[in-house]
Amino acid sequence: MATRKESSSSPSAPMASTGGTLDSPVKQIQIEGLVVLKIIKHYQEEGQGSEVVQGVLLGLVVEDRLEITNCFPFPQHTEDDADFDEVQYQMEMMRSLRHVNIDHLHVGWYQSTFYGSFVSRALLDSQFSYQHAIEESVVLIYDPIKTAQGSLSLKAYRLTPKLMEICKEKDFTPEGLKKASVGFENMFEEVPIVIKNSHLISVLLWDLEDKSTVSDKHELLNLSSSNHLEKSLQLLMDRVDDLNQDIVKYNTYSRNLSKQQQQKHQYLQRRQQENVQRQSRGEPPLPEEDLTKLFKPPLPPPRMDTLLIAGQVNNYCQNVKEFTSQNLGKLFMAEALQGHN
Amino acid sequence: MSRFFATGSDSESEESSSGDEITSKAPGTNFKQSLLLSDDEEDTKRVVRSAKDKRFEELTNLIKTIRNAMKIRDMSKCLEEFEQLCRAFLKSKNIVDKEGVPQFYIRLLADLEDYLNQLWEDKEGKKKMNKNNAKALSTLRQKIRKYNRDFETEIAAYKENPQESADEEEEKEQEDSGSSSESEDDGGEEVSAKSFLKKKPEGPSEASKFLKGAKGSGDESSSSDDDDDDDEDWGGDTEESGSESSDDEEGKSKSLATAFLKKAGTDKGSIKKVEKKKKQKKERAGELQEGEGDDEDGPWEKVKGGVPLVKEKPKMFAKGTEINIPVVVKKLNEILQARGKKGTDRAAQIELLHALAIIAGENNLGQGILVKIKFNIIASLYDYNPNLAAFMKADMWKKCLDCIDELLDILFENNNIFIGENIAEDSENLNISDQQPFRVRGCVLTLVERMDEEFTKIMQNTDPHSQEYVDNLKDEGRVCGIIDRLLSYLENKGSTEEICRVYLRRIMHTYYKFDYKAHRRSLGLQGETKSEQDQEESEGEDSAVIMDRLCKFIYAKDRTDRIRTCAILCHIYHHALHSRWYQARDLMLMSHLQDNIQHADPPVQILYNRTMVQLGICAFRQGMIKDAHNALLDIQSSGRAKELLGQGLLMRNMQERNAEQEKIEKRRQVPFHMHINLELLECVYLVSAMLLEIPYMAAHEFDARRRMISKQFHHQLRVGERQPLLGPPESMREHVVAASKAMKMGDWRTCHSFIINEKMNSKVWDLFPETQRVREMLVRKIQEESLRTYLFTYSSVYDSISMQTLSEMFELEIPTVHSIISKMIINEELMASLDQPTQTVVMHRTEPTSLQNMALQLAEKLGSLVENNERIFDLKQGVYGGYFNRDQKGGYQQKQPYQRDQKGGYQQKQGGYQRGGYRNQNQSNY
Repeated sequence: MATRKESSSSPSAPMASTGGTLDSPVKQIQIEGLVVLKIIKHYQEEGQGSEVVQGVLLGLVVEDRLEITNCFPFPQHTEDDADFDEVQYQMEMMRSLRHVNIDHLHVGWYQSTFYGSFVSRALLDSQFSYQHAIEESVVLIYDPIKTAQGSLSLKAYRLTPKLMEICKEKDFTPEGLKKASVGFENMFEEVPIVIKNSHLISVLLWDLEDKSTVSDKHELLNLSSSNHLEKSLQLLMDRVDDLNQDIVKYNTYSRNLSKQQQQKHQYLQRRQQENVQRQSRGEPPLPEEDLTKLFKPPLPPPRMDTLLIAGQVNNYCQNVKEFTSQNLGKLFMAEALQGHN
Repeated sequence: MSRFFATGSDSESEESSSGDEITSKAPGTNFKQSLLLSDDEEDTKRVVRSAKDKRFEELTNLIKTIRNAMKIRDMSKCLEEFEQLCRAFLKSKNIVDKEGVPQFYIRLLADLEDYLNQLWEDKEGKKKMNKNNAKALSTLRQKIRKYNRDFETEIAAYKENPQESADEEEEKEQEDSGSSSESEDDGGEEVSAKSFLKKKPEGPSEASKFLKGAKGSGDESSSSDDDDDDDEDWGGDTEESGSESSDDEEGKSKSLATAFLKKAGTDKGSIKKVEKKKKQKKERAGELQEGEGDDEDGPWEKVKGGVPLVKEKPKMFAKGTEINIPVVVKKLNEILQARGKKGTDRAAQIELLHALAIIAGENNLGQGILVKIKFNIIASLYDYNPNLAAFMKADMWKKCLDCIDELLDILFENNNIFIGENIAEDSENLNISDQQPFRVRGCVLTLVERMDEEFTKIMQNTDPHSQEYVDNLKDEGRVCGIIDRLLSYLENKGSTEEICRVYLRRIMHTYYKFDYKAHRRSLGLQGETKSEQDQEESEGEDSAVIMDRLCKFIYAKDRTDRIRTCAILCHIYHHALHSRWYQARDLMLMSHLQDNIQHADPPVQILYNRTMVQLGICAFRQGMIKDAHNALLDIQSSGRAKELLGQGLLMRNMQERNAEQEKIEKRRQVPFHMHINLELLECVYLVSAMLLEIPYMAAHEFDARRRMISKQFHHQLRVGERQPLLGPPESMREHVVAASKAMKMGDWRTCHSFIINEKMNSKVWDLFPETQRVREMLVRKIQEESLRTYLFTYSSVYDSISMQTLSEMFELEIPTVHSIISKMIINEELMASLDQPTQTVVMHRTEPTSLQNMALQLAEKLGSLVENNERIFDLKQGVYGGYFNRDQKGGYQQKQPYQRDQKGGYQQKQGGYQRGGYRNQNQSNY
């Protein structure tokens, strides 16, 4: 596993807009192997299908590097304990961990994902509140399905400072977003991840790898693709539908707006003419009126959701692209092998 | 003289509160029990009389106290009593409306006003009064002024009338002398009695045969006592006419008094009835007794034969009056005049008419008059219920049927009676002596139609699950019989229009009945004993033949659109009911009813809906699933089948309609025995939808734009899917849903077992007349459609499949399998070819995989996304300059086909794998 960590941490998507160059306080994330295993274990035990598991990351900041040294899961919610106090639980947990001398600083949270569908309003909101409270905090996205296919998929994301500002002002109008020049590409930044194990553990892993049989690694070479692709396409299609709806909504909005603008313009012109006439007759001009009252501009549809959907679509596309390129490679390899035999 | 005494007792009862009245009546009532008119009526009369008296007594008592108060100049008391009097007067308004304002009341008003004016003028007296009295005086004065304004004319009349005022003075004297205990009303009545006495001899000529008769009957000592009372009973009516005519002759000076007196006398009869209503309990009791009385009447008359009937005559006509046609007609008119008036006792009226009929029959006045009376009896039977919603009571209904039967009997026996609505009253000819035929105004057809409607109403208002309903339904035979008789009568005598109308009635009673006889006969041709056939044939012609004959006559002769429309619909319904699908369909199509039925009135629309439904069910039985589905779609898709077929109201509409509308809608309901089984209807619809939809769904699984054939069926499927736990199906719908699921997998055996089993047989299939045939058809259809579904769903799995195997799997003969597969290949539903030597189907494997399908869908969606995006872009530019915008758009549009072309090319490379849906869509895009 330790050998694979580098490949997964390489920033492949444009989603991560050159993580380190920005004036972000975190330029690199170093994760303990323990945390990775704990997250995987958590999903294995509690998450099934499209269900999502979440938890808290603990660690500390060293210069511009965030070290995640431990984590614990959020308990699953059930209807029975509606009065369950999450904050209380977290504080309790951290205090207990502190007692056994574990890093107890809150540095973010993790979440599992289903075929890479994680770009959502909920994630944005919670990550915003985290980042608002603790500047360095990150969200770790763990993709169990990709992991099952043979390569660990763990990614760390942070909101870009621009998005933080927008969220702070809660200005999601088209104008606001335009001014802040936030597109779906630069909403999140991906922070490179390094998985670090102690030397002793590394030695153990080497040892284990020698012992493991070849068949354990075969899943990486699985040629079947249609299932995964179908699922991705299905999800992608749903998003596209959503996007379509949003566009239609925006379309009507802008049409209404322009219609109103026209009316307003006409009204002003008429008024001006009247005033000119009055002036020629020597009468006082018409009193000023509040135009905003006369023409209430239609409520602009919030653009944040559209942005998020676009981001999600982009994410799916990247996933599919990555998957297909890998699969094509595998197919060619298989063909070559076939021919060789 | 007896008449005279009778009236005397009348006024007596008014005077005395009750006691002596009863004693004076007692002997009369005893006699009466042995007479036609039961004493019950007499009883109610007496009660009523006292009720009326009670009001007047109240008034007179109050008046008395007022007069007393006037005497002692107690103004406050006067005021108090006056107010009470006003209230009491208001209460007795009903009576007053009838008789006019009672004279004593007017008298008091006039006196009081005079008196008050006097007091007012008397300044000294006023000074003497205490404060309260003075105040009361002024208020009372104002009040009475105001109040009297309403009675100005009466008071003026009273003041002018010297006689009355004289009486008044007399009265005053009496009162002054101290005998104030006696009510002035008494005095008044006495006076009236006096004037009555005077009057009677004065105008004996006009007081009519009646009086004569009374005198005459007086001579007949034997029954004189009875006659007294009888006279009195009938007096009300006769006296009215008599007095009216007498008014003209008498001096004008007396006219007012007499008029009033007459009214008082005559109104008693009618007032009684008004009073009756007020006292409902009594009325009910009375009615009950009357009912019993009626029952007793019938047999009783028969037993007694002629003798007692002779005695009865005087009830209508005084003894010895020569009973001839004009007299009877006059009497009839008298009775009829009361018709529709507020206070008329409708039951009594019917009784009267019956009695009249009997009298007419007794005296051999000829059939003409009898027919006329019968007409009126039936009409008043219909009138018995005041509002349209109420239905006839059972006994009334029976009576009505009897009457109509009798009337028809008479009409059949006597060929020389002409009846018609257009014969004026004047030109009627009822004389028996004339050689000319009778001419009677009236229309049997209308009566029978009304009767038919009443029958429908009775059926509508009876609980369909009760024995009562069955009993009522037994009358249908009689109703049909009457209509049949009328039909044969009118065929000879009636105009075409009338014949059309009666034909329609006949049709209406025929079209919904399944002709088991004919059905059995048609089956019998194949192998039943001949004797049975002969027997059946002799029983009458097929309903189909009758329907055909009647309807064709209407098509040819009818000039009103409505009757023809109804006839056509009924004809179609009848055809459909008897599985003559092609005739039914052709008739429906030829009539073009579908185009303009929405302009028809609701009952016709209901009939249309019923016909369509029946047509659909018929198509289903014939195995024409698509036609069945189309016919039923309109009714079933709305989810208001119950309402549309007039078989019940929907609860959810309660808020939308008010009570009035609800009543109207209730009247439109189809009686229960004509209902179409809604479950059967729904089942037929769902099964036909299943047979159409499941293969279609399988064929278009990946088609983004596939349309649902039946929304309702999909709804049922969804409901089935939503069930958390799937048990064995219980209801009809669950069965169909379960069957659909099995069919989806191509599992026809399971599907079959779900559709046809014990439960479904009892619920649905056994309701068809040709159960076995329908079931066989259904099995066959299920097999075929399952095969199609199977091929659609699993063809991608096969490289080739032997027809032999398919034939075994679906238990169909190889030629059938061959034909089904060939059809699918021709329709390009199945990409395959047949390999003749090996009898196999070779799949072409051109179906896109699900991933490819998905990608195609995505491409389509992205296309629309881009389009939408472009539109936004256009708009953005449009704000700044429209010119560029248009240009650009054109450019874009030109680009579009290119892209599409590419796509098309790709598809073509794939080898025409795309299904009809895709192709169409492409074509529509170009």
